[in-house]
Amino acid sequence: MKPDEMDAVFAALAAESRRRILDILKKEPGCNVNRVCEFFDDIGRVAVMKHLDVLEGANLVLSEKVGRERLLYFNPVPIHMIYDRWTTEYSAYWAGRLARMKYRLENAPIQINRKKGGSRG
Amino acid sequence: MAEKKRAMFRVVIDGSQEAIFRELTRTDGLLPAIFNSRMHTTGLKPGGRMQMRTPSGDHVIVDGDVLEYDFPRRFAHTHRFTTLDDPVCKVTYELKPVAGGIEVTLTVDDMPAGTKTEKEMTKGGDFILANLKAIVEKGRPPLGARVMYAMFGALEFMLPGRTKAAHWPLEKTKETA
Repeated sequence: MKPDEMDAVFAALAAESRRRILDILKKEPGCNVNRVCEFFDDIGRVAVMKHLDVLEGANLVLSEKVGRERLLYFNPVPIHMIYDRWTTEYSAYWAGRLARMKYRLENAPIQINRKKGGSRG
Repeated sequence: MAEKKRAMFRVVIDGSQEAIFRELTRTDGLLPAIFNSRMHTTGLKPGGRMQMRTPSGDHVIVDGDVLEYDFPRRFAHTHRFTTLDDPVCKVTYELKPVAGGIEVTLTVDDMPAGTKTEKEMTKGGDFILANLKAIVEKGRPPLGARVMYAMFGALEFMLPGRTKAAHWPLEKTKETA
């Protein structure tokens, strides 16, 4: 990955709202913008679309136009390449064990906050 | 009926479109981008049969039918893991020139939700594209993949019996569930 591409990935990841959008798309691949907005009380549709543009610019989100809808997918490749850059087989094993121990002890899976109310498409 | 899902993976690679396409479709050598497998095929054209086998050719890991082959733009095939009884899914590679190189998109359609196939395909997609990029831009796959391939070679005898090539004739047209 070129330095400016990597800058874009880290900049895109440097906001909790955008990280939450990736959580949502990972869980519901192919959902549309309305669906993503349902998960946010604090920010509106315009802000969500801006965040999506940043994520798409960093190649972390792929969108596909189907009719009038825009379907969204999480693209894990840039994160995989960051992982490749700083991980060896050996460190992956031990770092993975420590990370899992932390998740287990803190009992803290990554939460997706759901906004109350019905689901629209 | 199980819900069917799609996954998409994309990377931009600095290299020639023809070379990248060949890294995904060559039949006269190993495919280090795709788990160091060897593609066996009755012909890369719609209706052709294809299999991803171990380097020795003795074990079949993936069995499928060629759906599209348009050098050097598009390659699509059905995909079934021989070790699993899950329904078949569809794999599509699409190559497109963009600023900075060639954009490669890997799409997996009809993944049966909640199955092992879904898990493996979701893990495999970014592995394939990250490897492909390293192979084309740096001449070889990343260290992790090289270590993994060395292990595959040493452990081939441990593959389950049902993967043996004798159980998966290339010529026969299998009905797809």
